[in-house]
Amino acid sequence: MKILAEVINKNNLYLEIVDGIILPIKDYSVESVCYFDIDEIISIKKNTNREVFVKINKNLFNKDISSVKEILQTLNDNKIDGVFFYDLAILQLKNELNLDIKLIWNQTHMVNNYRTCDYYYSKGVDYALLGKEITIDEILEIIKLSKIGSMVEVVSLPSVGFSRRLLVSNYYNDLGVSGDKVLKVKEKITDTNYDVIEDENGTCFYYDKIMNGTGIIKDLYNNGCNYIIFREYGIDDFSELLSDTKEYIDNKCESSMYIDKYKKLGDSTNFFFKKTIYKVK
Amino acid sequence: MKKIELLSPAGDLERLKVTLLYGADAVYIGGYKYSLRANANNFSIDEIREGCNFAHKLGKKVHLTLNIVFHNEDMDGVEDYIDQVVSAGIDAFIVSDPFIISFIKNKYPNVEVHLSTQNSTTNYESIKFFENEGIDRVVLARELSKNEISEIIKKVKCDIEVFIHGAMCTCFSGRCALSNYVTGRDANRGGCAQVCRFSFKNDGYKDFTFATKDMNMAAHIGELIDMGVRSLKVEGRMRSLYYLATVIGTYRNIIDDYYDGILNDKSMKIYQERLDRVANRETSDHYFSKEADYEDQYYTGRSEVSNQDYLGQVISYDKENKLLKIYERNYFEVGDTLELFTYDGIHKEFVLDKLYNCDMESIDVARHPDDIYYLYLDVDFEIHEYSMLKIVKKGRV
Repeated sequence: MKILAEVINKNNLYLEIVDGIILPIKDYSVESVCYFDIDEIISIKKNTNREVFVKINKNLFNKDISSVKEILQTLNDNKIDGVFFYDLAILQLKNELNLDIKLIWNQTHMVNNYRTCDYYYSKGVDYALLGKEITIDEILEIIKLSKIGSMVEVVSLPSVGFSRRLLVSNYYNDLGVSGDKVLKVKEKITDTNYDVIEDENGTCFYYDKIMNGTGIIKDLYNNGCNYIIFREYGIDDFSELLSDTKEYIDNKCESSMYIDKYKKLGDSTNFFFKKTIYKVK
Repeated sequence: MKKIELLSPAGDLERLKVTLLYGADAVYIGGYKYSLRANANNFSIDEIREGCNFAHKLGKKVHLTLNIVFHNEDMDGVEDYIDQVVSAGIDAFIVSDPFIISFIKNKYPNVEVHLSTQNSTTNYESIKFFENEGIDRVVLARELSKNEISEIIKKVKCDIEVFIHGAMCTCFSGRCALSNYVTGRDANRGGCAQVCRFSFKNDGYKDFTFATKDMNMAAHIGELIDMGVRSLKVEGRMRSLYYLATVIGTYRNIIDDYYDGILNDKSMKIYQERLDRVANRETSDHYFSKEADYEDQYYTGRSEVSNQDYLGQVISYDKENKLLKIYERNYFEVGDTLELFTYDGIHKEFVLDKLYNCDMESIDVARHPDDIYYLYLDVDFEIHEYSMLKIVKKGRV
């Protein structure tokens, strides 16, 4: 099981620790805080023996298509290890352009069952980044029953919603004041905090509790998960976390020590151990 | 030229009948399972069959939503369910999961499959992918401009459906799990708690919401027809009979007037007023004419408007004794000016002179919702069940 990281600083990619990195591409990816242009991505790929994945996960519009075609061709030509995609235009373009590049199905809240994973596998998609709103039992069942390769995000501040609207600017406009593009808000009933971050592609909501999946890593490893993903935004001592996890996976440290140490990330295990409901009457 | 389809929501069998009678060409409904409105009344298999029979007799269609984002456990039984609803007569499925699309098209190639707006489809290449999978129609994302919709229609072969009226999501459909995190209710399996309408706190400022205004595209119907849109969809499977009758009846008028070349500023003003009267929020066209901005949002200062125009639903009309039998919904009294409207397109204004309770005792005031009342009304046309009464003016003129 390999470790992938998505970073917040272009000058610190943790390549000496991880098996690979995820680089959100500028203008065509969202729900990230650090974006890379195509030249930076190619340069990083040329200078590392680690796997380099690129994220193209915005909802694409007609005007984006011609640029995305060129980007996909360039990524393909430069042997990028895979593209995380949200919009099905990416899969269509890969087929139209007859590219070899690997694809990772990354429809944030939708990657929730093994049959649809298998469907995408039959269409030439190599991996699925599984949803964050399903239980560990569901995750393991998907890994067991689907032919598609699996990726699971285990530590991050979860992105929980994305809007095309410029919600932060609009909010300050409505108030008649100016402010920056990061809004820290509290939902009043549940008393939970959210980071609301806007850029030119829209606005992302982040749940302001770290999703602490350190406790499920061994289950994922034992069941054949291919990759686990760590996202740096909101996480302190990220380098140490990555190093410790590497040792933990390689059985170079006591499980209990690792688990105890990373209780400091908090007790939010997202939906790994609780099911969502949808009928209320 | 094939006339554009007016597609109405229907949360139950009665709403299905009313909206078809009031002018919808097709309705979309949810079954007990797999629908994104898990908390609407929804339809049993027998009710789906009855609804399809009712629609087909009128030459109209029924679409079934099967558009949840499936978990492993949801896959159990879905194939049997699809078999059952196909045999009940469903004309089309509205689906978001491509596995389900391929299953239906492989087994039932003659049943239409429409890609749900839950997929937030925003470009023509994505539609080409689904065309290769056999999709018959795509319901576009609500985040698109006129030019973007137009370019898509020019570049794809399948039918295109757009939303024209009703509530909007703040985030892209399918790309929001706020409800999951705040309430534990799964937004993508029909449990959305509409957290964007909840109250948020930002230190130093008034509490606010991220809520959007509703959509109203009445002014753009002609443009959408000319662009080649195939279907116009109204949101609101959980809306009232009165709301649906008014909105669907009004859009029916607008569409027909446009095709007949008689839609003008004067008639449009009347139609827009009708739509405005049943709205409980302000409306906008959001992304159609410009990038949506702060004027399309409610941050602070919004209160829900409760509409009390609706007075009752007609049960029958005794032409001989000139008595209109109704279920009451809101208070009214003798001397009020009322309007009767029917699915035949009749709008009849009158002052109420005589009112009787269910025992035929003369009374002055109808004050009890759900009670039956009789109104004296002398007209020479038929008045069918599901005609509606609304208030025009309170008190004697």
